[in-house]
Amino acid sequence: MEKNLYHNKKLQWLTYLVVFAVLGSVPLITDDAFLLNQLATYGVYGLLAVSISLCWGSGGILNLGQGIAFGLGAYGMAMTMQMQSQAPGTIPPFMANNALEELPIFWEPFWNTGLGIVLALLVPTLFYLVFGGLMFAARVSGPFFAIMTLAILSALATVFVALQPYTNGVNGISPPGALMIGEVMIDPYSSLAYWVVFALLLFFTFAAKLLNQSRFGLVVRALKDDPERVRFLGYNVAVYETAVYALSGLMAAAAGASFAVLTQYVSPAQFEVGFSIGIVIWAAIGGRNSLLWAMLGAFMVQGAQSYAGDAFLNTWILILGFSFILVVRFLPGGFAGLVETILGRVAERKETEEDFDLESAKGATK
Amino acid sequence: MDISTIAIANSLILGLSIASIFLVAAIGLTIIYGTAGVINMAHGEFIMLGAYSVYAMQAYFGVPYFLCIPIAFVIVAAIGFVIEKLLIQHLYHRPLDTLLATWGVSLVLIQGTRLIFGSDPKYIQMPGFLASNIELGGISLAAFRIFVIFAALALITLVWFVFYKTDFGIKIRAVTQNREMAAAFGINSKQVYSFTFAFGAGLAGVAGALFGVLNIVLPTMGMGYVVQAFLIVVTGGGALLGSAIASVATGELQSIFAMILNDTFARFLIFILIVVFLRFRPQGLISAGGGRR
Repeated sequence: MEKNLYHNKKLQWLTYLVVFAVLGSVPLITDDAFLLNQLATYGVYGLLAVSISLCWGSGGILNLGQGIAFGLGAYGMAMTMQMQSQAPGTIPPFMANNALEELPIFWEPFWNTGLGIVLALLVPTLFYLVFGGLMFAARVSGPFFAIMTLAILSALATVFVALQPYTNGVNGISPPGALMIGEVMIDPYSSLAYWVVFALLLFFTFAAKLLNQSRFGLVVRALKDDPERVRFLGYNVAVYETAVYALSGLMAAAAGASFAVLTQYVSPAQFEVGFSIGIVIWAAIGGRNSLLWAMLGAFMVQGAQSYAGDAFLNTWILILGFSFILVVRFLPGGFAGLVETILGRVAERKETEEDFDLESAKGATK
Repeated sequence: MDISTIAIANSLILGLSIASIFLVAAIGLTIIYGTAGVINMAHGEFIMLGAYSVYAMQAYFGVPYFLCIPIAFVIVAAIGFVIEKLLIQHLYHRPLDTLLATWGVSLVLIQGTRLIFGSDPKYIQMPGFLASNIELGGISLAAFRIFVIFAALALITLVWFVFYKTDFGIKIRAVTQNREMAAAFGINSKQVYSFTFAFGAGLAGVAGALFGVLNIVLPTMGMGYVVQAFLIVVTGGGALLGSAIASVATGELQSIFAMILNDTFARFLIFILIVVFLRFRPQGLISAGGGRR
């Protein structure tokens, strides 16, 4: 029997349900369009933090380039939305400005909304599968892998800037209209958009939670502690690592696609190194080992940035940097680790009290 | 000589110049990573601090450029020493966490610099004779870039000398190979790590003193160097010679690709090549000696 309430599975699920019930009830309380859009954007950040928690917290794969899938997903969705507003046979204005006469071949599939969305999710996932497969098969891991993801990220950013005629370079793509699914318009400033992000967040968080508790998740957590031993037990470590990495990529791609829907804008800024490491900071401050806490970490940091950040504009990054250093130094488990320790202490005290009662009831004889 | 040979020779020379910049950027990181196993994400900011030290020395005290270079070494080494004592020392057994903590350090350093010096670009004055272009048979290169090439050679000689010809170097190598055994022979490994980190940071400061002339000085100027420097270190395997070879190889390749394609795709291609290379040789060209903690 688990003594520490933090490890109680039923209680964990209950906490997840309560948190998501609160998140889901937001549109019932407010209809402030700006607030809904902002909170939905936080939902996207939360989803990113969950994706990092899955591959870093559970799998021990530190991924400093989550912006790869996020950015690719966002570009895919923005391209889809751009083509929706385009009359058949025409090309987006920025292409004409860059002296292109025909639609580039890789833009063609985005005429079809369904296919465009599938590509927005599939391309980043496949990229992760190939890149992760290459790296993990070579047993590149830990810090090395983190550096490689960083390298790929900055390489992608330069390519997207350089391909001006195809991606509109630094300016990025800003589709003129909101995303239409059939006859339904997903207005970014509506409760519908909020629900969509909420549903994605709910689905992926619960799926990841189930995955963590499955046999697959057990192997993944084992290989975080000691990949060599897992390999000796006959598991193909590279396959597990690639799978977790690609899954987190799929989640980040979904986050990216939602981000493009919410902001109607995408640019190489999504590939910025600072942003990708920011995701890791959210997960670290919240607690990388817990999906839920990682998500709350994103809410806390981003929320503090929007509200406190305006007050001390210049010192905000200083505060963020220092708090990150302090968390890494003194609270490696983030807030989740803190809660776990406190609940553990409570359980211990209870236990000793019970023991003491038992002892005294027996008359303290051995 | 026809035009194409000149073009090729030009791009080879330019490649050498790029290689020297890579090497100067990576040399401090190689030492910190190769000996202490610390993934120092604040390395780019150490470079930035070096550039700002030179700027401050010139602007406020009128110190001549060549004297600024050793001063930049001392200032950044001192900052590195303090950071090591306060933070890094407690994280040696958690390599991934050093990566994260030093990222936090880099955020603080960037913003701190921005608060002190402002975010407008600064410029470093260099001696007039380095500002010219040197031409030789159709090949031309800025004199300062030639100076950087020689600086890279000088730095690598310096590091080699420190590592292989001094008592401190013997201690560093002993601690790298086997910390416990070194400790048993009376070497204070904690102290050795602190000084190694400071030494690496100081070398980054020298790099900053050089790069501040090549580019404008900005609080964010370090960001571009850190990824590149890490790729050199990872490709090289953490050893000094490995980093040198990796710098020359990637520098020359990038210059040749840039001649055929363009600069951006050259860089992209290098990244891809490094990924493929690491697929087949994950330990890098020459893996640093001794067991890693």
